[in-house]
Amino acid sequence: MLEGIPILTLLILLPLIGAIVTLLSGKDPKVAKSLALVFSGITLIVSLVLLLSFNLSAGGIFGQNYQFTEQYQWAKSLGISWIVGVDGISAPMVFLTALLCFLAILFSWDVKDRTKQYMGLMLVLEVGVMGVFMSLDYFMFYVFWEIVLIPMFFLIGIWGGPRREYAAIKFFIYTHIASLVMLLAIFAMYFQANLGTFDMRAIQAAGSLFPNGFQMGIFLALFFGFGVKMPIVPFHTWLPDAHVEAPTAGSVLLAGLLLKMGAYGIIRIAMPTLPQGASGWQWLLLCIAILSILYGAFASLAQKDLKKMVAFSSISHMGMVLLGLATLGTIGIAAGSFQMFSHGLITAVLFMVCGVVQHKAGTREMTKLGGLAAKAPWLATFMMIGFMASLGLPGLVGFAAEFTIFFATWQTWNYLLLIPIISVAITAAYYIWAMQRTIFGPLTDKIDVSHLRDVNWFEAAPLAALCAAIILFGLYPSLIFDFMRPAASGLAGLLGVI
Amino acid sequence: MIDFTPVLPAMMLGGVALLVPAVRMLTKSDKATGIASLAGIVASMLLVFYWFYNGSHMAVFENMLRIDAFSALFMLIFLFVALYVVIASLRFVDGLKHTGEYYALVMLATAGMMVVAMSMDLITLFVGIEITSLSSYSLVAFRKKDKLGAEAATKYFIIGGLSSALSLFGISLIYGATGQVNFQAVASAVAALHGMDPVLILAIVMIVAGFGFKVAIVPFQMWAPDVYEGAPTTITAMLASGSKKMGFIALFKVFIIGLVAIKADWSMMIGIVAIATMTLGNVIAISQTSIKRMLAYSSIAQAGYILIVLPIAVVGDPTVAQYGLAGGIFHMMTHAFMKGGAFIIVAGLATAALGEHINDYKGLYRRAPLMAFAMTIMLFSLAGIPPLAGFASKFVLFSGAIYASNLAGEQWLLWLAVAAIINSAISLYYYARVVKYMYLDEGPKDKLKIAPAFGVAVAVCVVAVILIGVFPDPFIQACQEAAKAFFLP
Repeated sequence: MLEGIPILTLLILLPLIGAIVTLLSGKDPKVAKSLALVFSGITLIVSLVLLLSFNLSAGGIFGQNYQFTEQYQWAKSLGISWIVGVDGISAPMVFLTALLCFLAILFSWDVKDRTKQYMGLMLVLEVGVMGVFMSLDYFMFYVFWEIVLIPMFFLIGIWGGPRREYAAIKFFIYTHIASLVMLLAIFAMYFQANLGTFDMRAIQAAGSLFPNGFQMGIFLALFFGFGVKMPIVPFHTWLPDAHVEAPTAGSVLLAGLLLKMGAYGIIRIAMPTLPQGASGWQWLLLCIAILSILYGAFASLAQKDLKKMVAFSSISHMGMVLLGLATLGTIGIAAGSFQMFSHGLITAVLFMVCGVVQHKAGTREMTKLGGLAAKAPWLATFMMIGFMASLGLPGLVGFAAEFTIFFATWQTWNYLLLIPIISVAITAAYYIWAMQRTIFGPLTDKIDVSHLRDVNWFEAAPLAALCAAIILFGLYPSLIFDFMRPAASGLAGLLGVI
Repeated sequence: MIDFTPVLPAMMLGGVALLVPAVRMLTKSDKATGIASLAGIVASMLLVFYWFYNGSHMAVFENMLRIDAFSALFMLIFLFVALYVVIASLRFVDGLKHTGEYYALVMLATAGMMVVAMSMDLITLFVGIEITSLSSYSLVAFRKKDKLGAEAATKYFIIGGLSSALSLFGISLIYGATGQVNFQAVASAVAALHGMDPVLILAIVMIVAGFGFKVAIVPFQMWAPDVYEGAPTTITAMLASGSKKMGFIALFKVFIIGLVAIKADWSMMIGIVAIATMTLGNVIAISQTSIKRMLAYSSIAQAGYILIVLPIAVVGDPTVAQYGLAGGIFHMMTHAFMKGGAFIIVAGLATAALGEHINDYKGLYRRAPLMAFAMTIMLFSLAGIPPLAGFASKFVLFSGAIYASNLAGEQWLLWLAVAAIINSAISLYYYARVVKYMYLDEGPKDKLKIAPAFGVAVAVCVVAVILIGVFPDPFIQACQEAAKAFFLP
């Protein structure tokens, strides 16, 4: 039904046009907001169409068979083309991108300062993330990868918290260094393949013949480049700063989408192109994954700031993605990809809740909060759903993902599972303790709560939509799993593991 | 009968330059003078375009000058620089004395650069460099009552004289050792010398020092920040985007063609100098508080990036060498627009009474939104953020080093790419800091009134930077054509 329609290019162009129109719109913030919402809304609808018309039964080798592929010459002299395409891993991520951007724009309805620029930057960010998830050309991929940095730099730096400037510059430079290391690795693969093209598919096809030492070295460089974005311990220090200072919608997109780009890069580029590198460094992936999971969990336990706790929990949950990928097997990779999707939904709820708390109560310090449920029952409900989903309550989306990851870990390493699984207990502990200190118990007297109100409509709507998605995909995980499993099994086949 | 057509663009520019003071005298109008100069530049540009698209190459004056894809491309770059410098000057020098001479000198300097681009032997090369140097000394001193400007001009003149003397000494040593001045003839004579002549070592040292001053590579960079800061800012734009490129062409011609046979003696040394230059430029730029000095140090760093071309362009494999040289040419092209554009923005803001301290840029997005946006584009492009021109050219330039490092015996070139990439990351800090001041901090709220002339000049640069970044292909192809022509005997 979509013959001849360049749907993927459209998904990049729509937010781009939206951004330009929004930035050029007049002085009225209402107009800017509505324009941004309309454009991201159309993008969401198109991405839903994409998801629904995706052919689940199309098989083929991983990384060679994409759907909705488009290819146009871009810079012939260097072998650069505009190639877009999606497979079972990226199609759900494209949908997640459109969904979160739309909801984040809706959630920012009350931004008062420089509304026009804010909305424009959100849409530019959407362009970048979309491009990363569908590029099949290294040059294009890198361009979009870097485009993402610029709007995020401004979002943190202009609309962020008290230490926003420090956080913005740290985020920018830290992730830019990682990108440059990735760029070096891309050059190395380009010249090693010596095909005169930056086409990912062609380089991947040549990749399995790269000498072992080369694969090991370049995989490490790519892993660093992508890992900083994920982020992996010990390269995570930019994340708590960026998150704590970023405006709520910025945090939602940062945690919900930008972190996924790192994991996606490992799945799309590092593992299939350098299979020997992946199996050679499997132990490192495992160690880093476990380290991130446990470090993130323990660090969350120690936080007093609600948002900082959620930020550290992201490190732990992205470690879970890496754990799934490290098994190099079908189930592990599929579950890791699913965890990307599920964490995107959950973390969006968590950051939005933090934003609401900050907004209504004026503080996120858990020691000063307490008993908010009495005053703001809806806020408390959303918070509970989000926290429960994140700690892995069966029936919600987080459980489906994490359970499967642990299952795959058991299959691969047996009793080693005992180490990462400790984190389940710690995660439950910090979330439940956080709820006790913020929404339950006697109403706090440390802050003025007389004007404390429940969520507004523009906050409730995205939260409700996300909670509905969390429950829906928790009850029917196969809705998304069916996309990811064939691709994952193809990747596992490339890696020589079934 | 000598066919003058190849040198017509340069001759015409020089001719118009000599007429312009007369125009000033007759019309008594600064605007008319500026517009007459613009007409000369545009006419010259059209002639070069014609040559560039004809694709033929042709030598004149006993093969002393040659117009081909390489020289035509650089002439176009120099003319574009002159174009936006003159447009910006329409407002910048308005109401000052001696504007006729100002425009004439700008055009003479450009004509000198064009001679360097066309030069095929050491003599014409030196003559071209001197035409440009002498014109730019007086341009730097243009505001003669300004103390800082006078100091800068004196410094520039003394250092420039020294560097001319050194390079002339080097040239005479080459002539003494080989008996030749033509680059190709020098190359074969040097190859025939077999083994190392100590005279040539001395010549290499002298030429590196002499031209090194011109392009401000370490350790000959100390004059650049003072001169860039003290000169009228439009002239700073020309020095950074025009004169500097001219010095590189001189280095390219002497080393890549003339001294290729003894590359073992200099390529590693130049590589080390390149790394030192980019590192020093970037590290010192971080601590600068004057925007012009910061841009000057960033210029030094960029010279370091371009310098890595010299060792790459002499590797054994001609395809690789050509790819590497094309990357260098491409980066010189984009740098001419982004660095020149940044200086023009500084000049435009200075005429609107904004200071040149970084603190003065606080909250600029409210005071001059378009200028703040343009500056952001220029700075991000300099830092190499896609999809801007600086990224595209760094992409080709740095990948050239990795391409070359695949060859046997040239593995060390990889370190040039690594150093350049680390430096790119460092540089982001000071570029992003200015953006932070402009957008993230709040400053005074009053609007700045920017003259339309600056708007046009800046728009030329912004359009070029975005266009080259998004559609790099025709530009890369032009640079590859130029690189191919460069190696032709």
